Amino acid sequence: MISESVLDKIRNISGEVHTDNSTCQTHGLDWTRFYKPNPSAVVFPRTTQEVGAIVKLANEYNFGLVPSGGRTGLSGGAVAINKELVVSFDKMNKILEFDAVDCSVRVEAGVVTRTLQEYARNKGLYYPVDFASSGSSQLGGNIATNAGGIKVLRYGLTRDWISGLKVVTGRGDILELNHGLIKNATGYDLRHLYIGSEGTLGFVTEASVQLTTDPGSLSVVLLAVPKMTDVVAVLRAFREQTSLTAFEFFSDVALQYVIEHMDLSVPFSKRSDYYVLVECIEDDDAITNVFMDCTDSGWVVDGIVSQSGQQNKDFWRYRENISEAITPFTPYKNDISVRVSKVPEFLAAIQDKVMSQYPDFEIVWFGHIGDGNLHLNILKPISWDLDRFKQRCEKVSESILGVVSSFRGSISAEHGVGLLKRDQLRYTRSEIEIATMQALKKVFDPNDVMNPGKLL
Amino acid sequence: MKVLVTAKRVVDYNVNIRVLNDNSGVDLNNVKMSVNPFDEIAIEEAVRLREADKVEEVIVVSVGASACQEQIRTALALGADRGILVETEEDMQPLAVAKLLNAIVDKEKPELIILGKQAIDGDNSQTGQMLAALAGIAQATFASQIELKDEVATVTREIDGGLETISVKLPAVITTDLRLNEPRYASLPNIMKAKKKPIDIFTPTDLGINVEPRVKTLKVEPPAERQAGIIVETVEELVDKLRNDVKVIP
Repeated sequence: MISESVLDKIRNISGEVHTDNSTCQTHGLDWTRFYKPNPSAVVFPRTTQEVGAIVKLANEYNFGLVPSGGRTGLSGGAVAINKELVVSFDKMNKILEFDAVDCSVRVEAGVVTRTLQEYARNKGLYYPVDFASSGSSQLGGNIATNAGGIKVLRYGLTRDWISGLKVVTGRGDILELNHGLIKNATGYDLRHLYIGSEGTLGFVTEASVQLTTDPGSLSVVLLAVPKMTDVVAVLRAFREQTSLTAFEFFSDVALQYVIEHMDLSVPFSKRSDYYVLVECIEDDDAITNVFMDCTDSGWVVDGIVSQSGQQNKDFWRYRENISEAITPFTPYKNDISVRVSKVPEFLAAIQDKVMSQYPDFEIVWFGHIGDGNLHLNILKPISWDLDRFKQRCEKVSESILGVVSSFRGSISAEHGVGLLKRDQLRYTRSEIEIATMQALKKVFDPNDVMNPGKLL
Repeated sequence: MKVLVTAKRVVDYNVNIRVLNDNSGVDLNNVKMSVNPFDEIAIEEAVRLREADKVEEVIVVSVGASACQEQIRTALALGADRGILVETEEDMQPLAVAKLLNAIVDKEKPELIILGKQAIDGDNSQTGQMLAALAGIAQATFASQIELKDEVATVTREIDGGLETISVKLPAVITTDLRLNEPRYASLPNIMKAKKKPIDIFTPTDLGINVEPRVKTLKVEPPAERQAGIIVETVEELVDKLRNDVKVIP
């Protein structure tokens, strides 16, 4: 609980402090739907200095701070349930500086991903990190979770595009990390420690982001693949013969939800259990050649190719709208990954567990197969209440995560850990690793004010 | 019965159009090109008529540079039977295109010609009408529904303030509106089959048509940039702005 006198001190630092219920409810929550937001207040700082002063105050009066960006997180990383002060970056949304020689842009943490993508395009360049929520998600949140998305296969993660950071540590110190340098061999790269730290070491307030050249015209191909285990063979064929930018997969259950809820047309006359979406540099001959190889091998039974920019977008909607289409069913999301080469074996093992342990639940599969990343969503039966559903899912998750662990995979490929996956961290990280992470947190945030209770 | 459809090569609908620095036209360098979306609807309609056994053959025509073959191939993949390209590097304007199409109509004698109601680049909406006049046949523009029976096409047209249903005797020219149908996607098996379908190539000279432009473009300018909106903090501020800045309330 933050007392009224401390709230006044916060108001003195940053004019905009909201304590009304509606702001607290919206800004105290991300896309995760398992928590009830309960913050003391929401502050909208406008400068790094203001954020620094707020952190110092949190140390002095011992209250927790929860960062809030585009609130599209799926692991409860930006959820305030213990009367914390929510620090929203909505008002720190300026693009500060562009340099054509460096191909880089310096932005405040609250800049929305799509705004940056469009800014880059207007400069004749390209910011390749992209995902379904790019219209809302903010750069600061992308950095705090090392966001991946749909172009990882070709362009890597958010980490690969950040050349500098300005952060406020849990002590309230302001650090400028790496200064936009490409080469900088001067010891520990604290920038990379902050990327993916989920706000537990400090808050990112500014970033230097690298841009690249536009890949040019892309084709999007949708393929009907009857057997899940053939998906990786299809990936290999396309990787060898085309210049891939994305390789995604989803199940027929997922497709039916998207068609129904997003009012899209049916892509194939005959349904197939699984589908693959391939995006590659436009090359019709190469695409038809791989397609023939894949059909000859029996992996693929049908396929369509986009013929226009509009169709590129339409095809992507079959994949990108899945998350939104199943949201009304309060999905319990497993965001898991293994090495790409292990995917077929892993898929078979997980499928086996799911079939035996979730016979009464509806399962929606989709994922970034090209990155070894699978999203396994369990839909809540309408008659079940949330607590019962969550408890049951957590129980079954343990056996799924056991499989992940035995494949030395990750229990959270790109959604982060937050509150939701915190107690599962041990499936991917060893005891000593977790202890080392805790010790590191102590260095940057000795009083545990930065996003307390998340990740560790 | 034969149907002739068109497939104009245009700058893709989703491309951000850039005007050339010298204001002489639009930058077409490395820009994605596609079939005019209204022509896609024409192609789809023709293919559906053939699938319903109302017509025997669907011929697709494009006019322009050699690269227009890509758009013809797309139409062939969507179900057209053969293609005709009238190849020219000249800047093509509606009257010249209508004359070329009329020459093709003379050769092929189709009972039905379906075109997009306009192309999304020039937005002229002239070619179909001119073609009907040149060929001396009926026209039904802005179609949202087409029914064929006994040498007569009953066409529902989208007009200002409602719908109009007319019947025209075949042969006739029909131009398509958005709601006529939803075009299918090109399937890979059909794209492969389309590679084997024939495309005949003519030049305007072969057809005896002079395609010299009649209209000279003086200047191309981008639309005026819209000013960014602002977010007001209070209702009072909003009312104040509406009253004193925008002056829309007294």
